[in-house]
Amino acid sequence: MAPVSQTKEMPAAVRALPALSVRKVRKLYNELEAIKNVSLEVAQNEFVSLLGPSGCGKSTLLTMIAGLLKQTEGEISINGTPVTGPRPEIGMVFQQPVLLPWRTILDNVLFPVELLKLPRDKYVPRAMELLAMAKIDDFAGSLPRQLSGGMRQRASICRALVHDPAILLMDEPFSALDALTRDEMGVELLRIWQANRKTVVFVTHSIREAAFLSDRVVVMGRRPATIVEEMTIDLPRPRQISLTEDENFNRYVRALRKAIEASHGH
Amino acid sequence: MGTKGRRFAADIAGPAAISIGMIVLWEVIVRALHIRSIILPPPSEIIMAMVDRRDLLLTHLWPSLYLTVLGFALSVVGGVAVAILITYSAALRKGFYPIIIVSQVIPKISIAPLFIVWFGTGTMSSLLLAFLIAFFPMTINSALGFQSIDEDIARMARTFMASDWQVFWKIRMPNALPYIFSGMKISITLAIIGVIVSEFVASQEGIGYLIKLAGGLLDTPLMMAAITVLSIAGLILYGLIAHFERRVVYWQSSSDISGSGGG
Ligand SMILES: Nc1ncnc2c1ncn2[C@@H]1O[C@H](COP(=O)(O)OP(=O)(O)OP(=O)(O)O)[C@@H](O)[C@H]1O
Ligand SMILES: [Mg+2]
Repeated sequence: MAPVSQTKEMPAAVRALPALSVRKVRKLYNELEAIKNVSLEVAQNEFVSLLGPSGCGKSTLLTMIAGLLKQTEGEISINGTPVTGPRPEIGMVFQQPVLLPWRTILDNVLFPVELLKLPRDKYVPRAMELLAMAKIDDFAGSLPRQLSGGMRQRASICRALVHDPAILLMDEPFSALDALTRDEMGVELLRIWQANRKTVVFVTHSIREAAFLSDRVVVMGRRPATIVEEMTIDLPRPRQISLTEDENFNRYVRALRKAIEASHGH
Repeated sequence: MGTKGRRFAADIAGPAAISIGMIVLWEVIVRALHIRSIILPPPSEIIMAMVDRRDLLLTHLWPSLYLTVLGFALSVVGGVAVAILITYSAALRKGFYPIIIVSQVIPKISIAPLFIVWFGTGTMSSLLLAFLIAFFPMTINSALGFQSIDEDIARMARTFMASDWQVFWKIRMPNALPYIFSGMKISITLAIIGVIVSEFVASQEGIGYLIKLAGGLLDTPLMMAAITVLSIAGLILYGLIAHFERRVVYWQSSSDISGSGGG
């Protein structure tokens, strides 16, 4: 399958920069310290998962990267530019699909294109290609309520990618799905990502999901969040679901689980 | 095809059969018990009155219908406009809500005589009363529609850099449409009540006036014919709104039913 978009030609100076850099970020919600001190660098086209207990501040961190929330201290920058608000280089996938019920799937996917005032006509073929890749192109003209939960979430991934953002932020995108659909979606996501290389920051509760998808897994500790462990997942790509049977894969899963248990202190 | 036939049976044939049955029963009881037609005319007599006096009925129907539709239209435009204003201005919202709440408590038709004092015994009073009582449900429903934006949708739009203008046209407006239509369905009924009551109180024309006149003449068949004509007109207006609603709010659950029928 032809890739939907070639990675844009970047000047060497930008290519050398981390796609995302989070430096000594702290976040207070009034009195409550949600994030104590997080520093994180994500390389261009790297797939990084954030793993951590509920309420540790993963969504908070992602929201700050998306420019919807201001950190209390520290700096976040994308391709070397500090984040001061939402920007077009960001694509976001939420826990729920959040599709507009009155728009067809195609029009939902084109929503960011419309909001960014990009030429719609030029993006329709791209949107259709993404839908085909997500195997829901037959539903381009359907309304969201005619799709299953998994199909809707795939549409929302297409929406996040349609304007060709440099960074894809995903906040537990598969947690509302059943286990079988969830595994399948992981494989689908990797397939789309393979053809459409992006920097991805993926938040999850699932150790296996993190290990399966990522180049690197970042483990966050209990609130107030710090990073307690980083692990590079050195497994070949493209990855198939059979990888989860692999002993190397399971070694990573065990190591991650141990790291999490050590930090959370059960 | 089969499901369609069954749906026809459930939606139309069933209720129609029950209505016809009740009308027949009414006819039979009135005749069997020799109830005088001043008290309760049989349906056949009402229908005859409708046919015989159709010119009179229509003469009085048109002004009522005209004022109802006009008052209703004004209430829709005004209600949606005020709803948008109070959605975007906290100060207006604070100013308007007490008025809206008080207006919910006051039986608005009780001020009909006051309107007559202010605006005279003419179309102006009827129009204003229709507008006034249709206006508040329109405003409340629309405001709810503009304001009840799903938080996730709002966040999604902000992530993709939607401007306030885009949020209004692409999210708030479509979100409000189902609410606006439920407001319209309430308001059309209230606009009819407003016009009829105001015609009861003081008017020389209109279906309300005719009902009162027939009552005074003890012409019960004419009175019931007028009520029937009014009910039919009301049903048609309501049906038109429901029809537009299905087309405009095509993503809503009413079509869910037809969607599942196809499976
Ligand atoms: N808007 C807010 N105002 C005040 N406190 C907040 C707000 N949002 C989050 N918090 C608090 O900050 C902490 C971190 O929340 P966050 O949503 O980032 O956690 P999370 O890691 O995404 O959790 P989960 O895995 O359950 O989604 C929580 O204790 C939460 O109560
Ligand atoms: Mg979260």
